[in-house]
Amino acid sequence: MARARWPSLWERARDLQRWVTSTIGASIWLRGCTHVGSKTRTFWRPHVENRGRIVIGSRVRLNSNWAPVELVTGPAGVIEIGDGVFINYGTLISAHTRVRIGQNVMVGNYAIISDTEIPGIGDPPGAPLMEARAVDIGNNAWLAARVTVLPGSHIGAGAVIAAGSVVSGDIPAGAVAGGIPARILRAVATEDSSGSGS
Amino acid sequence: MNLQTAVERARTAFWLRNCDQVGHEPRLRGRPTLYGGRIRIGDRFELASRPVASHLMTGPDGVIEIGHDVSIAHGAAIAAFERVQIGHGTLIGPFVIIMDTNFHGAAGDQSVQHDCRPVVIGDGCRIGSRVTITRGGSIGNGAEILAGSVVSTAIPPGACAGGGRARIIGRAGEAASRWDSAAAALPSLVMKSLRLNVPPDLDADPSGLPDWDDSGVLRLLAAITGLFGVRLDTTEISHAHTFADIAAAVERARVAHSRRAAG
Repeated sequence: MARARWPSLWERARDLQRWVTSTIGASIWLRGCTHVGSKTRTFWRPHVENRGRIVIGSRVRLNSNWAPVELVTGPAGVIEIGDGVFINYGTLISAHTRVRIGQNVMVGNYAIISDTEIPGIGDPPGAPLMEARAVDIGNNAWLAARVTVLPGSHIGAGAVIAAGSVVSGDIPAGAVAGGIPARILRAVATEDSSGSGS
Repeated sequence: MNLQTAVERARTAFWLRNCDQVGHEPRLRGRPTLYGGRIRIGDRFELASRPVASHLMTGPDGVIEIGHDVSIAHGAAIAAFERVQIGHGTLIGPFVIIMDTNFHGAAGDQSVQHDCRPVVIGDGCRIGSRVTITRGGSIGNGAEILAGSVVSTAIPPGACAGGGRARIIGRAGEAASRWDSAAAALPSLVMKSLRLNVPPDLDADPSGLPDWDDSGVLRLLAAITGLFGVRLDTTEISHAHTFADIAAAVERARVAHSRRAAG
């Protein structure tokens, strides 16, 4: 039930404190990134390991409330996050070539978006050689909780991926997809799209 | 009471300080986070937060009601903005996500919205690890949810359900209700043989499907033989009332086949 009254003074103060902490937090925790847009905020502490390039747009919010958001790039890796994106806790985004996330995308908690089969590992001696395939997520997409995006996937604009799905391959724009592996459940998203995908 | 027990009781009481009501003998391993509106916990509650911390949170109007003898493993993420209820004696595996709201709108709409539907988990359920229970999901008494499933609909009591859109694949506690059972594999076999868009429900009537003609039946028979190595009669399939009947026939054939093979 959405809040239907004006915020109280305490709530305003708390919101202001959160805005300050998250804005300052972004400049601290995201300082390892190549470029961070204006008004980007981090809640609690994300984990950034940037050996390539990480470009974050403006008005991006990273929530690491219960588990840190991790952004990891290999030497040739590029992570591009568009404006207005919201990434929820526990998500791992790992790029050894390119991972691009469009504008206003919502990524649910504990998601894995990786362009290699084993995400997140650096290049320690003895690490397996892994082929990296670029991942692309279109504008306004919605990835629900625990979605795994495998290397080489393309998710179209406005697509909805149901909770727990494993996406490999292409999801057309506006589709609702779900399952392991993700199959199209509804070809064009309707008003009724919900996280359950059923 | 020795010092260690006293310290542990004090810590437990401190960690559960945000709960409205806590029963006798709660046992917490590791440090969980519980906060929010109203959390009511029954007796002998077990919550693990080692190696990964669990959290239970409610919104201002939310309620979490947990019955007696409930055990929740580590990494649990439970959020209630209206109501989440867990029945007595339920066992919940690690890394489970239970939420009764989506927290936001549809694709492209990031505004905070709580369109809640209560989540009710019955008594005596067994929920596997990494299960995601989204709003509106309800699990009947004694049901079993296989690991990795996503539950967003009602699961009847005593059923065993699993999958990315949790579907019933048998009865709770039965050995046949496993991923290698005929009931688990049949829906996708039918989908491929009849060239459907989505796998059918096990309770669906086959004759209601398009392409349920002789050639479709033959393709399904061939697929069953290919996957399970057993040969069914066309009459068994075409006279089945539901796909669950067909799955049962396949299981019987498999049992008979393995008995013959064992001599």
